[in-house]
This record gives sequence, structure tokens and C-alpha cells, in this order.
Amino acid sequence: MKKRTVLGIRTCTWIWLIMMGLTLVTYTIGQAGLGGLSASLTVLVIALLKGQMVGDYFMGLKRLRGFWRWPVSLWLFLPGGLISVAFTLVG
Amino acid sequence: MQTQVIAESDRYPPGDLAIWVFILAELAAFAAFFGSYAYTRMQHVALFNHYQLTLDKTAALINTFALITSSYFVVRGVAAIRENDSQGCVRWLMAALVMGGLFLIVKSQEYAHHIDEGITLSTNKFYMFYLSLTFFHFMHVIMGMVILAAVAVKARRGRYSAEQYVGVETGASYWHMVDLVWLILFPLVYVMR
Repeated sequence: MKKRTVLGIRTCTWIWLIMMGLTLVTYTIGQAGLGGLSASLTVLVIALLKGQMVGDYFMGLKRLRGFWRWPVSLWLFLPGGLISVAFTLVG
Repeated sequence: MQTQVIAESDRYPPGDLAIWVFILAELAAFAAFFGSYAYTRMQHVALFNHYQLTLDKTAALINTFALITSSYFVVRGVAAIRENDSQGCVRWLMAALVMGGLFLIVKSQEYAHHIDEGITLSTNKFYMFYLSLTFFHFMHVIMGMVILAAVAVKARRGRYSAEQYVGVETGASYWHMVDLVWLILFPLVYVMR
């Protein structure tokens, strides 16, 4: 069995720490009671970024070529798009 | 632990391809759920905003930390087995399971609190979505923990090695999916208003 390209553990450790930090930002926005379109979309973009990090680095899809590179990104786009439209329509 | 050689295997995701078909089906179901939540919220904005304030954001923060950390531990477990370190793999997977257990405990406490307050699926549309969506995810956490536990047991028995670790990657991929879904669920249900 051929070994795969393994993304460095150091990179994944940084990604973990960045995701923890971004989670704190989301929590702070929530605790501050910030609402409205801009706050909601900010929180959503943070969530989508974290999702992309999980797909790229933890699942290891970043190194892939072809079809399997994209399912997680496309999935993030689907609920991300639906949620954005729904929140934008109600302001 | 750095980059190693590859080639053709980089056309396919880690683990058994069958688990990826399953993962895509699960993700599609959650996407439909998220879309339904957002669409229903459009028609009941005031109700959703009001009852969202009753949720415990700190519990959700702890749970998000737990799942992100567990996913990272699983990454370390996969890296360990690639280095032929079975015991290291078991330790990282056990650590991930502890984080999964923490998630279940915190979420169960949230549910117990809601039950004490007499909140059910039929209380209102917000709680219907909140309870069903989070419980659907809760069941996936349990399923993921069962899979990780089975992988840890096999790793402990020496069934995996640096040459054969597809099973570890398969379990890891499922667990990352559970984490991925929560990363959208947390802000959508607890924060966005």
C-alpha cells in the first residue's frame, strides 16, 4: 500500500488552535447579543472557514486531485448559500 | 512527522470509499435540515430570536471546543498509526473518545434542563428544530464514538500498521464529518439572529 501525502502535524496543530480562536470569536458575538445581517453573516463566514479547514486539513482533502477534492467545499456552499439568502431576505 | 511520498492514492479520500458515500448522504440530510431551519425562521423571526436567547451558549462553546479537539486528536491518532505506533494511535483515539464523552454529558445536561422546563418538540417551531436537529446530531456523535471505539480496540490488538491503516482513516473521516456538521449547527442555532 502506497503511503499518502500526510499534511504535517504542526500544520494541523495550528489549524486546531485557529479554529478554537475563531470559535471564541463566534461565542463572543453571541454573548454580546449582536444581531442583524452583518453580525450573522460574519458568524456564518467564520463557520464556513472552519468547515473548510476541517475538510482541507483534518480530512486531508486539500492534497487530493479530481472529484474528491470538492465535496466538502460544495457541501459548505449549499447550506451556506441557503442560510445567507434566508437571513438576507429578512434583513 | 512530515510529508511522505504518494501519487495515485491522492485521487481518493482517506479511508474506505464506501464511508464517503455514506458521509455525503449524511451531509445532504443535514444540509436539508439547515435549509429548512433557515426557511422556517424567515416566517417566524421574532419567535426564533426570542427562544434562541433561552439556549446555553456557554454549553455550546464547550461542546464546540470538545468536538474540534477530538477531531484534532483523531488526526494525531491517524498520524501515529502511519508511524507504526499502535499504542500512540490507541491513546489519541481514547483521548478523542473522552472529548466525545464530554460532548454527550454537556448536551445531555442541556436536554435535562429543557425537560425540567417542560419543553418538548411541540412547544413551538424553534424548539422543534432545535431539539430535532441537535438530537439528530447527538445520535451521530454516539455512532461516531462507537466507530472510534471499535477502531481503538482493533488498533490495541495490533490489527493496524504503517502499511495497513484504512480502517483508522475510515473511522477518522466519519468523526470529522460529525465535527463538520456541528461547526455549522452551533452558530446557526445558538448565535445567528
